[in-house]
Amino acid sequence: MNVSPRQRILDRVCAATRADSNDYAGLPRSYIRAGALDQAGRLRLMTERLREYGAEVVASSPADLPSLVAHRLLESGRQHFAAPPGLPAEWLSRSLSWKVDNNLSHEEIEHCGGVVTAASAGIADSGTIVLHHGPLEGRRVITLLPDFHLCILRAAQIVETLPEYFACFPQAPRLATYISGPSATADIEMTRINGVHGPRFLSVIIVRDSPTSAEIQSSTNEAVRHDAI
Amino acid sequence: MNTVVEERPTTGRHAPVMDPAIAPSFPVAALPILQDTQLRKNVAHATDVIQSKRNHLVAEKKDWQELRNSASAMRAHVLANLGKYLEQFEANCTAAGGTVHWARDAAEARAVILNILREEKAAEVIKIKAMTSAEIQLNPALETAGIAAIETDLAELILQLGEDEPSHIVVPALHVNRRQVREIFAQRMGLSELSDDPKALTTAARSYLRSKFLSVPTAISGANFLIAESGSVAIVESEGNGRMCLTLPQTLITLAGIEKVLPRFTDLEVMLQVLARSATGERMNPYTSLWSGITPGDGPQRFHVVLLDNGRSEILARKVERQTLQCIRCAACLNACPVYRQTGGHAYGSPYAGPIGAILTPQLQHMRHAQSLPYASSLCAACYEVCPVKINIPEVLIELRAQVTDQQRTRVREWLDPMFLGMKAANFAFGSAWRFRLAQRFGRIALRGFTGEDGWIHKLPSLGAKWTQSRDLRGLPQQTFREWWATRDRSAGKEAK
Repeated sequence: MNVSPRQRILDRVCAATRADSNDYAGLPRSYIRAGALDQAGRLRLMTERLREYGAEVVASSPADLPSLVAHRLLESGRQHFAAPPGLPAEWLSRSLSWKVDNNLSHEEIEHCGGVVTAASAGIADSGTIVLHHGPLEGRRVITLLPDFHLCILRAAQIVETLPEYFACFPQAPRLATYISGPSATADIEMTRINGVHGPRFLSVIIVRDSPTSAEIQSSTNEAVRHDAI
Repeated sequence: MNTVVEERPTTGRHAPVMDPAIAPSFPVAALPILQDTQLRKNVAHATDVIQSKRNHLVAEKKDWQELRNSASAMRAHVLANLGKYLEQFEANCTAAGGTVHWARDAAEARAVILNILREEKAAEVIKIKAMTSAEIQLNPALETAGIAAIETDLAELILQLGEDEPSHIVVPALHVNRRQVREIFAQRMGLSELSDDPKALTTAARSYLRSKFLSVPTAISGANFLIAESGSVAIVESEGNGRMCLTLPQTLITLAGIEKVLPRFTDLEVMLQVLARSATGERMNPYTSLWSGITPGDGPQRFHVVLLDNGRSEILARKVERQTLQCIRCAACLNACPVYRQTGGHAYGSPYAGPIGAILTPQLQHMRHAQSLPYASSLCAACYEVCPVKINIPEVLIELRAQVTDQQRTRVREWLDPMFLGMKAANFAFGSAWRFRLAQRFGRIALRGFTGEDGWIHKLPSLGAKWTQSRDLRGLPQQTFREWWATRDRSAGKEAK
């Protein structure tokens, strides 16, 4: 009789573990889940971590965002930008050339010098930007081929710890990319070199949720000194 | 007759044998490496750098031990319920549009992958670094089938172009320095002006691979984690070559060991925290990708997962050894190991080097090869201390040593081995008090001729040379403790008071 490799493996696995039972709910989980920082502290930590990775970070009020986006893009020295289909039109500065990704070819995306997207979450503890690749974040390829990625993160999206992110998103998204700084390697003599294959330049704008909140304003100004731009 | 010697841009050594079935034993393979000071310098530097970064980031993590406890318990739980989680993963991955294949051994896995590639009419494949690929020796099989495998991880590319072999699970080219990388790239990429600045070398690799990423329609990857509840696969990387391979091609084949499953998506909250810290000394690696099956319009539209057993179900059945399968391939044990830090990875004759390799390799070989590896350890337990999933590697090493010894006992030709005879003799001598005393007296006389004026033995013949070739031995004293005890002046102690 011909037993399939699948059945053969499963039979062996089950025979090997027959005597074992062990409860998932009972697994020890005494590690730190919730962070201790307030929103200002989270912003400060996120900014610090991102800068450690070599990313540029600036803060913005919602009102200033469109002009700040335009400014960052102009400053990047690039002309052609890709954007996911859901990105608000006011973020797309008319002085630059845009390709909105409605199934662009890889070649077309490769010709874009940069890309602008939103994000699904930010994790301050590790300086991680999370993309779930919805309409505001776009297909994976648009944040991969262009050399410059400008990512817009709302302050309310920033959690302190990784478990807090998972508490917000307990179901696996269909697609996700977790970005902790620009593409990097240390394969040659452990010397960290940014920019192997992914975008070499990562720029982040953190948008304060309520510009009227004086508390957040002052603390962010203190932490994020790029406001002068 | 003129012999044309082709200039090969290698790292100046013969490519080591990394097939455990034919590799020389560890001490034999280690000897020439120990004389290669450049290689030892490179390995020491790399392991020092990773270790110090890792130690720094672990120290800052207040709940490190709690994370280790959770990670360990979670991996043990998966193994105890592996059948259930594998079936869950298969069902959910299939529902998401993936195709799941099962392979009992390396040959079956190679055949499954070659079949898929033939159906795709693939002439080239781009590859993400995958330990499973090296384990089943996929690249030689692809070459035989006329399919060009292009390694896209920078270190793997250096080794592929330099016709060298990986020597570390996470940083496979850590034994090669920048000048050696420059030589390889300059010759193989035709860039005679290339400098040995790591930045220039990285840029050269970037442009060399860019066209491959954009044109090769088939990719092969490993997997860091398989998520049972969603059928997702997670890949953890730094360079972005992984994202390229996972996003640009039309077809993706993922080769994963059956032990790689995690029950839930949220379990990554533990694993991702311990993995990057342990592997590269980062709070989080630059890129982690997660995908379930196929997403229309985004990424490969044909997705295959090959679940590889290759001895794992056998390891699962063994009580002490099962913990070997908890491993998440962070290589922290390699960086911490005083043996690995001297020899690097090639001496292990297996893609899995260091302490984890010393226990995993012989088991994957059904204890029929690589029997010297469990002895390639001082049992200092540094590996256990750094392991993020708390694999008690020394415990498994000792268990495997016992099995190797049992194997030897049953083989007649081993009975004439000097070590075997020596152990038998020791067993006899230590078996009774008078035989032991006799052996001591005999030993004192026998060793007198080898003992120098300084009271040390510098050189012994035969089996004893194994000790004295690397260290001196103190000569036996004129009197044993028991002899002294029996003849001591009993009044001396009292008077001293």
